[in-house]
Amino acid sequence: MAKSTNRYFQFLGSSKKAQVSGRLWYPAADVYKVPDGWVVKVELAGVSAEDVEIDIQGNTLIIAGCRKDRSCVSGISYEQMEITYSNFEKTLRFPAPIDGAKLDHMFENGLLIIRLHKGQ
Amino acid sequence: MAEEKTTETKTVTPPPLPQPFEIAILPLQNTTLFPETVVPLAVGRERSTRAVEEALATEEKLLACVTTKTENVTGDDAKPGDLYKIGTIVNIKRMMRNEGIMQLIVQGMDRFEIVEWTAEQPYLKAKVQILPDLRRVDDEEIEALKRNIQGMIQEALALLPNVPPEIRAAVMSQENPVQLSYFLASVLDLGTETEQKMLESSTVDGLLTLTHAALAREVEIMQIRSKIASEAQNEMDKSQRDYVLRQQMKAIQKELGDDEGGEKAEAEQLRERLEKADLPDDVRKEAERELRRMESLPQAAPDFHVIRTYLEYILELPWRKSSEEKLDLNEARRVLDEDHYGLEDIKERILESLAVVKLRPDSKSPIILFVGPPGVGKTSLGRSIARALGREFDRLSLGGMRDEAELRGHRRTYVGAMPGRIIQSLRRVGVNNPVMMLDEVDKLGNDFRGDPASALLEILDPAQNNTFRDNYIDLPFDLSKVFFIATANQLQPIPMPLRDRMEIIQLAGYSDREKLNIAKQYLIPRQIKENGLTGDQLTISDDAINLITSRYTREAGVRQLERTVGNLARKVALKVAQGLTEKVSITAEEIKGYLGPPRVYPEEARKELPAGVATGMAWTEMGGEVLFIEATLLPGGSGLTLTGQLGDVMKESAQAARSYLWSHATELGINPEIIKQNGVHIHVPAGAIPKDGPSAGVTMSSALASIYTGRKVRSDTSMTGEITLSGLVFPVGGIKEKVLAAHRAGIRRIVLPDRNEADVDEIPEDVRRELEIIPVKRISDVLDAVLEKESSDPGLKSYFARNLEAKADGSDRPVTHDI
Repeated sequence: MAKSTNRYFQFLGSSKKAQVSGRLWYPAADVYKVPDGWVVKVELAGVSAEDVEIDIQGNTLIIAGCRKDRSCVSGISYEQMEITYSNFEKTLRFPAPIDGAKLDHMFENGLLIIRLHKGQ
Repeated sequence: MAEEKTTETKTVTPPPLPQPFEIAILPLQNTTLFPETVVPLAVGRERSTRAVEEALATEEKLLACVTTKTENVTGDDAKPGDLYKIGTIVNIKRMMRNEGIMQLIVQGMDRFEIVEWTAEQPYLKAKVQILPDLRRVDDEEIEALKRNIQGMIQEALALLPNVPPEIRAAVMSQENPVQLSYFLASVLDLGTETEQKMLESSTVDGLLTLTHAALAREVEIMQIRSKIASEAQNEMDKSQRDYVLRQQMKAIQKELGDDEGGEKAEAEQLRERLEKADLPDDVRKEAERELRRMESLPQAAPDFHVIRTYLEYILELPWRKSSEEKLDLNEARRVLDEDHYGLEDIKERILESLAVVKLRPDSKSPIILFVGPPGVGKTSLGRSIARALGREFDRLSLGGMRDEAELRGHRRTYVGAMPGRIIQSLRRVGVNNPVMMLDEVDKLGNDFRGDPASALLEILDPAQNNTFRDNYIDLPFDLSKVFFIATANQLQPIPMPLRDRMEIIQLAGYSDREKLNIAKQYLIPRQIKENGLTGDQLTISDDAINLITSRYTREAGVRQLERTVGNLARKVALKVAQGLTEKVSITAEEIKGYLGPPRVYPEEARKELPAGVATGMAWTEMGGEVLFIEATLLPGGSGLTLTGQLGDVMKESAQAARSYLWSHATELGINPEIIKQNGVHIHVPAGAIPKDGPSAGVTMSSALASIYTGRKVRSDTSMTGEITLSGLVFPVGGIKEKVLAAHRAGIRRIVLPDRNEADVDEIPEDVRRELEIIPVKRISDVLDAVLEKESSDPGLKSYFARNLEAKADGSDRPVTHDI
């Protein structure tokens, strides 16, 4: 949308292209329901477990963190770079409060898998 | 359901500001990067490339961008002093190399301020301090500015055509005023200085104020631009619309088959014809001017058709086209003889005129006026002249014409204007030297509506008519090659100046003998042929023809005669067709059976005239006639009574006659007492026919003298002539017709004014031989010639005697004149 807006502003004589963004990037996520709670899958390849923070506030699940280019060393020269390395955040709102749910997470094949078990 | 919230950054608690750190610096030309926006960047210079590569080799992929203060410092040469102190830290999100140029997509993160430069080579490096987020000073002002900015954006979007509604919604829904400002600053070309100011702004209020000002300026420019654009568009639209409609109209016309290709083609056709036509220079110039005017007009314009008709007329006129002259005088003579019997003098004069034309081909054509009674062949003479000359012939009847525009045309400004009859006739014949017959010029009207005779003056004047200007054509046309022949029944109604321009040829009526010959040679063969008979099926004897001319027709010409012959021929044709007979020969005795009783009883010479009656002669349009003037005394009355539809001139001549006789009574042998004591009544039959003119003067004198003296007027004598009070006899006109009529009536003695003797030559020889013509100078000569010697009426004698006795007895003494 912002891209097409640009097109119209360009009409005014501006050759600049710009897009509103925050300071972050937003990884893709799947959410699905299972009998005993929810499963959330977030596309977070290349992110270390220690760089991720998971937080629950009311009915909102917040996944935030930072993807760092762990593999790079001084002296290398990139030919091409398409993976974003920076802070990310994913805010997911659930239809019901999830406070008190039992939460566990694991990385599997580049995906962060979070399980929310209904609390007893 | 789960939902993504992209715009809410506040959910993350801002981390405490980090300590200053060292970072690669990328100098930017003409561009300012703002936080929270994603923009593409191209990096090509070596030092900049190194800085980017250095940044890419870190875990965080962060780079510090600052803008050069002036445009002419390139990224490679920029010294720390050329750069602003405040810039934006960016995260490099993508990088592609393309022919040595690095294409970057970077995301603005935070503003920073350079604390200390640490290196310039191989790339710029500095210690930077991250700047805190913008402070909000006055929330209400921020809200007001935000709304204003949104209003202006809406305005700007309205000026742009075809903005999808979702774009509008996207811009309007941008809740974060800082993000909105940075976005606008990124896309609008505000200039480095303004952009840098916005970047350096540390409060939301300040940033929005700057954005507001910049946007207001942009919108104003946009409005002006859009106004200019729409005006230009309007202008273009109108001419384009006209063009499209015209094309459509042409297509429709073509479809309807109105014309092949519309006005253009029409004008082109005319132009082609114009180029081929043989026109004088001034005519061509005028025609081309009109054609240009026509080409500039749409076909629907009324003037278009006016001009087209005009041009077509001009192109059809024979400006230079003449028919070839084949003038052979012997041939002309033969043609004239073939078409007309007799008329020797007239043919002679026509041939004389033609001879001049032959000897001087460039001379002005003569203008001939034929004057004569109806049916004598004026029109057919004109036709014969055209035939003899081998020219085209056209006849214009001017009888009853009263508008000079009929001759000279209407000006083109009038609706339905047309050229005059002269130009129309020329177009009809297609050559400029026809024989043009102007029939009945004596019957031109002349009243407040116009005077066509005056227009004829120009047309018939050889000195002027080479530049005859018709009102419609409005160009000079040379009429001098036209052979004009005019005809008239009478000379008097023709205005003097017009008469003066023409050579007058008088055609008198035909005598009975001429009519007989014309009938035998022309009329009977023609009627036999027209009625489908052959020559030997119908013969009419001479006596029969004479009977027809005298008793069944009354005319100077031969029109009625021909009609009557035709009548006979038809009756014979009926009999032949019915098979009742093979051939018919008609004699005088049988005429009555065919034509019924005679229709005309001409005044015949009375066997014996009582005293007081004299035979006169009158000229009529039908030829001549014999008439009787009757006078009678009214005993005891006084004065003069005149009856018989007499005109003023005739009445006056009666008065003059009486006065003369009275004043010269004694010497003329009249007893003045008779005149004094008796009134007198003069009557001229037939009473229903109006009569006028002075030529009955001598006849009235004779009748009066007869009644006063008692001496009868000789019954074998008729007379004509004008009288004066002093007793002179003046010449009169129409001698030939009058004498012929008298001859027809059986009169053998004719009294004429001596000055009319020249006219006697016109009388056909055979008639003249049978007549005794007595020229007279004075009234006394007339009386000597016409009065019988003695008063022969005994009754009258006794009447006189009684009157005189009564006078002698009475108290009144008779007055006697001394001689």
